[in-house]
Amino acid sequence: MDKKTTQLHKYHLSQEAKFIDFGDWSMPFSYEGTLKEHDIVRTSSGFFDVSHMGRLEIQYSEIEKISKLICSEIIDIPTNKALYSIFTNADGNALDDVIFWKFDDKIILIPNASNSEKIKSHLDAHNVEFIDKSPDTVLIAVQGPDTIDLIQDKFDIPEKFSTNFSENYLYARTGYTGEDGVEIMANNEDAESLLTFLIEKGIKPCGLGSRDTLRLEASLPLYGFELSEDITPVEASLTWTITNKNDYLGSKRINDQLSGESHKVLKKFIIDSRKIARTETVGIAGETKGLVTSGNFSPMLNKSIGFILFENMPSQDLIEFDIRGNLVEGNIVNKRFLS
Amino acid sequence: MSDIKYLETHEWYLMKDDEITVGISDFAQNELGDIVYVTLPEVGQEFEKGAAVVEVEATKTVADAYAPMDCTITAVNSQLETEPETINNDPCGDGWMFKAKVNTVDDSGMSYQEYETFVS
Repeated sequence: MDKKTTQLHKYHLSQEAKFIDFGDWSMPFSYEGTLKEHDIVRTSSGFFDVSHMGRLEIQYSEIEKISKLICSEIIDIPTNKALYSIFTNADGNALDDVIFWKFDDKIILIPNASNSEKIKSHLDAHNVEFIDKSPDTVLIAVQGPDTIDLIQDKFDIPEKFSTNFSENYLYARTGYTGEDGVEIMANNEDAESLLTFLIEKGIKPCGLGSRDTLRLEASLPLYGFELSEDITPVEASLTWTITNKNDYLGSKRINDQLSGESHKVLKKFIIDSRKIARTETVGIAGETKGLVTSGNFSPMLNKSIGFILFENMPSQDLIEFDIRGNLVEGNIVNKRFLS
Repeated sequence: MSDIKYLETHEWYLMKDDEITVGISDFAQNELGDIVYVTLPEVGQEFEKGAAVVEVEATKTVADAYAPMDCTITAVNSQLETEPETINNDPCGDGWMFKAKVNTVDDSGMSYQEYETFVS
């Protein structure tokens, strides 16, 4: 089957991007190289075509129904806020981690590309009405410390983690790289002029390769790796997202885990070398066995980093990894990779 | 041009008398993306043709470079330990990985033109 491509595919081809299959999609993996693009986002500004992610428009009146499906408080936060949260199933496990953009009259829900159909079915099953805007729009994440300076003559920049809109765009000061920036949703017919604007500002295209090293370095989970339908937000060390005080789907199990019931534990680790402990590498901390969910090289730390899921809370921080038959030591870190 | 030859597993080798110099092709480094770490063999280590000699860690994936023929390592490019990106920048020049004494000659690699056809 032919892979899906985004509205900006011709541009990616013109830039001789390398492509990668990502679920049903063929997406740019890199243009000038993952490490170079990583550096661009950490030091200046880069943009990512993330139009493979979903964009569902939901009328504000549906908010109470949504509140019963996610682990975060969504009703009481201000209407111009962006919210990272998790749709949970009846067992409290993660169906998807998503972003909500709240506006006065509506909410934009951004599910992961691979979970869009699942979330749409889930909303249908719980009588939440939505309009799928994904086919008619693009989503571009502009990220990096220079971003705000570069785009503020065209965009009225909201506070961090807040939303705003103009005639042609809906946007929020969010991202998934650990840097300041905005994510912009535009109708397909406005995509080209947005692209031209970004390019004229000297903002460089970046691919999913650097998006992955950036999000990992920013200590952010990725669905399909850290998150799945086999892990709760508590187990994924996303307890900070659990702010919904009311009953919601799966809240009982989540509350039981918060009250001390034994559970799996996702931890971050650093290896003091460039040897990468990749997904499914076995790591043992004392008596506790774990499996790496994501691992890669951190350009900022010049070390190898990652997430590892342990069967239960490990008793020590030293991890012994079996990297393709070689014993490599690493350490659990409890703070973020980047301060 | 030199007599560099290529393998289907994307290594190149240059044979001079009974010694080979080995690295990975431009196609291979391009496929791997940014190389961040290599595990080089020890001088004196013996490898059979097809055995994994060098482990190449890139941000995208990890891959092995294989011995083009039975050989014994005589030198490694230690510059790669601190500057593994040299392989990306100059895969068939400064990015060479190891030199080895040939124990069983097997000069069956592809020419540049054959390899170009193979990867295209």
